[in-house]
Amino acid sequence: MLLTVFNGSPRGRASNTACLLEPFLEGFSETAGNAYELHYLAREKELEEHIRAFSEAECALWAFPLYTDCMPWAVKNFIEALAPFCGRQSNPSLGFLIHSGFPESLHSHNLKRYLEKLASRLGCPLIGTVIKGGSEGIREQPPAMTRALFRRMRELGQVFGRSGGFDPVLTARLAQPVRFSVWKLPVARIGLKMAELMYWNRMLKGNGAYEKRFARPYSQDNAEE
Amino acid sequence: MKIVVLNGSPDSRRFELDCYLAELEGLLETRGHVVKSFELRAMNIGHCTGCWGCWVKTPGECVIRDDSQKVCRAAINSDLLLFASPVIMGFTSAVLKKISDRLIPLLHPYFEIDRGEIHHRKRYERYPAVGLLLERATDTDEEDLELIRDIYARMALDFKSELKFTGLTGNPAEEAADALDRL
Ligand SMILES: Cc1cc2nc3c(=O)[nH]c(=O)nc-3n(C[C@H](O)[C@H](O)[C@H](O)COP(=O)(O)O)c2cc1C
Repeated sequence: MLLTVFNGSPRGRASNTACLLEPFLEGFSETAGNAYELHYLAREKELEEHIRAFSEAECALWAFPLYTDCMPWAVKNFIEALAPFCGRQSNPSLGFLIHSGFPESLHSHNLKRYLEKLASRLGCPLIGTVIKGGSEGIREQPPAMTRALFRRMRELGQVFGRSGGFDPVLTARLAQPVRFSVWKLPVARIGLKMAELMYWNRMLKGNGAYEKRFARPYSQDNAEE
Repeated sequence: MKIVVLNGSPDSRRFELDCYLAELEGLLETRGHVVKSFELRAMNIGHCTGCWGCWVKTPGECVIRDDSQKVCRAAINSDLLLFASPVIMGFTSAVLKKISDRLIPLLHPYFEIDRGEIHHRKRYERYPAVGLLLERATDTDEEDLELIRDIYARMALDFKSELKFTGLTGNPAEEAADALDRL
């Protein structure tokens, strides 16, 4: 199988999307005869090339993060450029890997609905949608923290490489938690506190911006140019 | 009420949304509202690169200096933020999505739990109500409209607010003005 992959993260190669794709594509490539090509939608100047890649693909995987409860700008820009392909006979089958900063997969449910409708609007056979929450930071985490996730991504890729589909059990696991149950919320709260200290505060301090973290630069409506 | 309109029509050759907004803005002004409208396609607005500079370098402000600062300032000081767009491939336009991504300096990186879900914390005391105005395309169906509404309702939640109005340019502008008046 030849897989055409579109990484839709604004961060391109240095993205969490790329980190999730890497083990997936390794697993995918284990099946003899499988190959993939990878495109970065953040490279605006390559839009024509992306359109061509889509039009020639037999099977396409779109992977990107949730941005304000939907797709990042570059992904919508790409989608608009694909309008001429709606209903074309030879469109590729289409699978989606979406992930969010917030840990629960429920944040991505509307986007999944949108993407699956988009596949039918384009007339692309739908492979499915994999959702992963809590993706912010994985590109910087030590291997011990990401090992289990990357193993799962690799397995997902292996099954996909053999069958052309997303394993439902692995997909369901990756989507956990859909939301936190009442008794898990206190644990989640501790995790969030850790993220504030270890992630946001560390960066704020590193930039000498910690004291200004609550700044409200627009609080007076005083700069009417 | 202070109303900020984000006109997400990508193309000046498409008149319907532009004309509708001109009429609606006129009506709202005669009723005493203060309307500020941004024609996004004509503005210099880059896309979010996901650098988090707006949270950890220059808190509250994007590190990319362009017209997005004007929009952020107007938006946070308004009572209603109206997202207006033609429906393109089942969603609002890319040009509108671009500014939506650039609104996150208005939030704070820290977290809170709201209705049992994780969200970011407020940066400002108050946030504008959210409105949505859509121009249907020939391929737009009810499911598309519902999806867009659902996505903007969640986005409103993330922006510490609520989706308070949804309108279609197929309906008279007076109707929209009445509905906005009642908010
Ligand atoms: C402008 C912007 C908007 C975002 N909106 C959301 C959101 O609505 N919900 C969410 O869970 N995460 C949101 N995120 C977080 C990203 O989904 C998260 O950081 C992700 O891991 C980025 O992946 P990447 O490195 O592949 O780009 C947003 C991030 C940015 C920069």
